[in-house]
Amino acid sequence: MAVIAVALSSAAGGFAYFMPAIQEAFDATSQVVVVPSPSPSPSISTGTTTPTPPHPPGAFTVLLLGSDNDAKFLGGVLTQSMIIIRFNPTAKKVTMLSIPRDLWVPLSTGGTSKIDGAYALGGAGAAIATVQNNFGIKIDAYIWIGLAGLVNVINAIGGIDVVTQAPVFDDFYPYDIGPGNPYRYLRVAVLAGPQHLDGTHALEYVRSRHNDLQSDFGRSARQQVVLLALRAKAAQISAEDVPLLAAALKGQIKTDMSLSRIATLLPLAGSIDIKNIQQVVLLPPYTHGCGCAAGYVVPVWGAILPLVHQYFP
Amino acid sequence: MAAGVAVLMVFSSVGTYMYLGSRQSKVAAPAQLPTSGTPSPAALNLPGTLFVTQAGAIYSYSAGRFHQLTALGVGWTQLAPYPGGRLLAVKRTLLYSDVYILDRFGKVVRQLTHNTAAAGNYDPSARHWSFYPRLSYNQKSIFMSYDKPKFGFDVPMSIWSMPVGGKISQGRLWSISIDYTGGDIQPLSLRTGLIYTKYSYGPDCSGLESQLWFTSAPEQAYGTRVCYPPPGAHGRPLTKAGEGCAQPALSPDGRTMAMICTYRTQVSYLNLASWNGKTLGARRTILRSQLVAQPTWAPDGTGIAYLAPAVQGAGFQLWWLPKAAYTPPTPSPSPVAPTPTPGVTPGPSPSPSPTPSSPPVVIKPVQMTSNLGLDATSPIVWLP
Repeated sequence: MAVIAVALSSAAGGFAYFMPAIQEAFDATSQVVVVPSPSPSPSISTGTTTPTPPHPPGAFTVLLLGSDNDAKFLGGVLTQSMIIIRFNPTAKKVTMLSIPRDLWVPLSTGGTSKIDGAYALGGAGAAIATVQNNFGIKIDAYIWIGLAGLVNVINAIGGIDVVTQAPVFDDFYPYDIGPGNPYRYLRVAVLAGPQHLDGTHALEYVRSRHNDLQSDFGRSARQQVVLLALRAKAAQISAEDVPLLAAALKGQIKTDMSLSRIATLLPLAGSIDIKNIQQVVLLPPYTHGCGCAAGYVVPVWGAILPLVHQYFP
Repeated sequence: MAAGVAVLMVFSSVGTYMYLGSRQSKVAAPAQLPTSGTPSPAALNLPGTLFVTQAGAIYSYSAGRFHQLTALGVGWTQLAPYPGGRLLAVKRTLLYSDVYILDRFGKVVRQLTHNTAAAGNYDPSARHWSFYPRLSYNQKSIFMSYDKPKFGFDVPMSIWSMPVGGKISQGRLWSISIDYTGGDIQPLSLRTGLIYTKYSYGPDCSGLESQLWFTSAPEQAYGTRVCYPPPGAHGRPLTKAGEGCAQPALSPDGRTMAMICTYRTQVSYLNLASWNGKTLGARRTILRSQLVAQPTWAPDGTGIAYLAPAVQGAGFQLWWLPKAAYTPPTPSPSPVAPTPTPGVTPGPSPSPSPTPSSPPVVIKPVQMTSNLGLDATSPIVWLP
């Protein structure tokens, strides 16, 4: 009887320890998402709509969405970052494709606009449907993370090591996280070379685009670098760190994946050799500027789709 | 009995909670203060004094001990030697940075630049950055990276020199940086000219690359900025675009250049190359596939100090590579057992070797510190 009581109380202690993480996990995961089917609505240009082929056996594709969710955005938020990540456990490969936020595409919600508006207009379902319809890639799940979430999670794991390939200077970096006027600017200087970045400086590195000739494309490449650094650091965390991470991500992460699916994917992500991680950014000639004030990016589907089918068969 | 069980239950539940908490990994543990770390025994053998920065504070390191010279969080970084045992240093704030001369105890002797804006000017772009200050070879001027001219959103660093005792407004422009790259950094003044790190998009305007660049004279005007300088303009490259080299450091005898190269990867390599005053010779990789940064030669030429993490994702530590690790060993008649190490490539074996069956001696780098978080973007200064 006493043994059972002690065992039960130990279990209660463990439950109390993991309770915040469990709570956050239930809050953040298994989000219900409705993905609209491709529609022949005349308001949507179907010229680029492509059927979504099935994956290779066991492969799993996630749409990673990173958002401006600062104080400037009281309604729907744009996705500053959209990265399609394909896990292929059989081949032990990961492929990452960054979609330019300004890509001019037919949205699943109707009309044609920059792709970063899909999430703002219709949530994760609209973002997934828009990507599926245009790129012909079946998206199995999504993960959305807010700006503060990225900062917090990098701080929670003690920062990341990266090689910044060039200095990043920006005199007009948005100073919009935290209290105060969200329309202020900050001067940012992330120096070049191997270094350790905390969450705030990592966010500056992946978010600044003013002083990059490749603008959003350069930023996309930097985002992939930070993702890989996060993956490398995450390999060192233990199960007992999960409550700390959950606290860091509170309210800043959402996914429609189940806990069991996440538990399957995490070890896989950590076990894949970096040489087997392919990174794709849709630079010209896959895209080109519109030459207009709206500043959107025009997709060259004749070049993009063969590339997509090569990396996401 | 019941009370005893109740106490046991309380202890087991609290104990389990605390046990799990104690099992957290140390990934998020804050870096130790250098002054609280245990010195490596090998540190006692290093000559002179090293100066490094961590969390905005300057530390000196001699006889295996760190001494904190300035307060934490003040923003000190980017050290360089200055005559009389003094230092050049950058003090970085949220919106701008300035160059100072400090004495060897970290006390401000003089402020050299004034990069803030006038009171009441809230335009962020009215401020300036100064980084990587270096005294010229003849000690008459101070070179630095300075963000002037700026072009709206394009904030490139250019190399400037200003007279010792003068102002940046008396400065001369030495490099024309390329549009939207971050610009030119890490000047190294030599008798024959100026070496610096240039960021550009390469001859085909595609990928952003760093190259060591050499110029023998200042620029006459701001000129045209393109993806890549045309041949013959603004000096010439010393390294190829694909090598991704930066952080040049010349040996005390002036004959060998140490540099950090990344080869378009997320790791870095410590390379050495001979230097004849105008060109670099063949590269020799001394450390490979890690995050090595800031190579700094010992003043007596006995080795190279550098920064690198001991564990991936953790803070940068101070390391020491004795000269024997990168110098071809003297032929020895007695074989020496090798010490395997993944990071160091020994120099080429002498040929012909008197003991051809003996494997080459491999010298390991010596880790001088642990659990620190040294600033890997700030050069190390090593004074005799």
